[in-house]
Amino acid sequence: MEDKSSPALRAGVDFRGTDNATTRISEHIKPGQKRAPFLRYIRINLPRTVRLLLLAVIAFVGVTAAITALGDIEPFPFADPILWAIGGAAALFVVVGLVTSARLWTWGTGIAGAAILIYLVGIAGTAPYVWNGASILQAALWNLMLFASVGYLVLYAALRYGMIVAAPDNQNFMD
Amino acid sequence: MDLGFPWWLRVEHFLNIIFISFLVRSGIEILGTYPKLYRSQHTVPGTSWAQFTIQEQSKHKYYTVGGEYDDYSPRISMPGRGLLGLGRYWHFITVTGFVASWVIYFVLLIATGQWRRYVPTSWDVFVQAGNDMLSYLAFQVPEPVAGAVFNGVQQLTYGGVILILTPLVIITGAFQSPAIANHFSRITRALGGRQVIRSIHFFCLVGYVAFFVIHVAMVVIHGYMHETAKMVFGNSNLPLAGGLIFSIGLLFVVILHVVATKWTLRDGRAVERLANVVVRPWSNLLYKLPARMHYDRGNVSGGDKGLENTTHNFRGSGRPPETDEYLALMANGYEDDYVLEIGGYVERPMTLTMQDLRKLADGHSQTTLHHCVQGFTSIGKWRGIPVSDLLDLAVPLPGATDVMYTSFQDMGRDDALYEGGMYYESNPMVEARMPQTLIAFELNDDGEIPAKNGAPVRLRMETSTGFRSLKWLERIEVVNRYDIVGEGRGGYFEDADFYDRNQLI
Repeated sequence: MEDKSSPALRAGVDFRGTDNATTRISEHIKPGQKRAPFLRYIRINLPRTVRLLLLAVIAFVGVTAAITALGDIEPFPFADPILWAIGGAAALFVVVGLVTSARLWTWGTGIAGAAILIYLVGIAGTAPYVWNGASILQAALWNLMLFASVGYLVLYAALRYGMIVAAPDNQNFMD
Repeated sequence: MDLGFPWWLRVEHFLNIIFISFLVRSGIEILGTYPKLYRSQHTVPGTSWAQFTIQEQSKHKYYTVGGEYDDYSPRISMPGRGLLGLGRYWHFITVTGFVASWVIYFVLLIATGQWRRYVPTSWDVFVQAGNDMLSYLAFQVPEPVAGAVFNGVQQLTYGGVILILTPLVIITGAFQSPAIANHFSRITRALGGRQVIRSIHFFCLVGYVAFFVIHVAMVVIHGYMHETAKMVFGNSNLPLAGGLIFSIGLLFVVILHVVATKWTLRDGRAVERLANVVVRPWSNLLYKLPARMHYDRGNVSGGDKGLENTTHNFRGSGRPPETDEYLALMANGYEDDYVLEIGGYVERPMTLTMQDLRKLADGHSQTTLHHCVQGFTSIGKWRGIPVSDLLDLAVPLPGATDVMYTSFQDMGRDDALYEGGMYYESNPMVEARMPQTLIAFELNDDGEIPAKNGAPVRLRMETSTGFRSLKWLERIEVVNRYDIVGEGRGGYFEDADFYDRNQLI
């Protein structure tokens, strides 16, 4: 007999008879497989930390781009304006990220992607490597621009895959 | 002094590859049986900061923790397939070697002066490390400081792993033990509580894996043959031979993992016997650490989270008995019908009603932290009577060695997750006589224990993992040997699964 006084039933929540009322339900398992892909097992729910981390990475990309633009060695002709544009876009991204709760992570891939593109073009040009006459610090910051950009794309992929979430989103764990 | 690579350092390096790789894999197995990490020791639903499972949350109103494990592949975890007991055995077997090896290594570092290879003797090392890091980032390989075997980054990294990360993982691992955590309850709380310690222990695992990845990458960058030869011969004079021998050693480690995993999945009892030989000599010492927790009423699970019904939040594991006898007891509120029998190897067998238990308890209570073997924790205030007091009343006969507890629960009948069998537990007299081994009849001042938590009467054994705190208690029997009951291993899960009766860790 249905319990009409049940608050859950009155609220329209009725899981009776659904599969995982009685058996285990595992997600992301492809037909013919026993287990899901490895990365599906990882779900981190630190939304504010991840939001700050993503902003910090883009800020770092912007700072390294600006410092490279200030340096003596231009990676390729007319690279400096582009590097400054990346620095400016990164600053705008960080400010918007800090003062609003906008989900601007896809915009960040544009900044990171542009930085990676500049780096790749710079390899063919005169990028500030030690063997091109740059100082250790200049070369390190140039490479860090690449590592930070790749790091952002990795974090973005993890975000899209559901491994991490950034505020205002949440994994909404129930248990 | 010539720091070099002495033979004992090279042996320790190789042993650590074995120990740490086994610890990581068995640690993942342990994590997988309660694949959630929390910041609060209350493990309040919905508050975990990480989950490592693909299992959808059960939509049952009540679901037991037994069904929350995830089935990891034996290629990742040790041995895989959600076999927590065997994962624990491997973790404890290898931790025995790992800790012994680290202590010996530490003593040798101090005694031979080799500690200088890891401990900076000047602030300049930190500046040097910064410069070295920039060099790596600039795609330049920095040279070691004159007279040292490592550059600044290497010295600080290896020093950090050996002298900070390793003691941290040992301490946080030790505080996973209910006996240690509940004896040194103040330290447990000072460290942030059981779940924070568990999370830190997990970060240590991540730290080792990250170190392994970067270390291997650096070895390749510096020259695989050149670097590995140092770990074989102590120098790089024969890089080809050294690299080859080291590679064969790595292959041996891989084979060791494959053989150990297959052996474990085939013959778990053999692994259990190995664990008994290796682990029990030191884990039995923990019987000298009785639980002495005194949490405040305000610490009771969920209270500080603003939950109204804190008892509802106290996790349950296992399903209540489904016999007519028990359901009738429940329907009548236990009060007039329930009788606890105490008998066996005693001078004065007796039966006690709920009123008798309340009278004997005389208001006695303990507010304690429950350690589930899978990993969840809850804090509850239990009212009851110490088993020691009951034993004093019943007067065990000379030769009595153990106390057996029998539940109304039959696992196969009541819980679809398990095979059939009467649920029972036992403890040696030393554990039964501990001050916080309690026969409880009330949780959180609610007048009774809820059915999911073991109504009407249950055992609390605070030095042990949770499943040994038997619920739905029917009878207590003092015996002079426990190994002739059931399969002879001292309890249901000890018989049906792979758990030691000594569950102090």
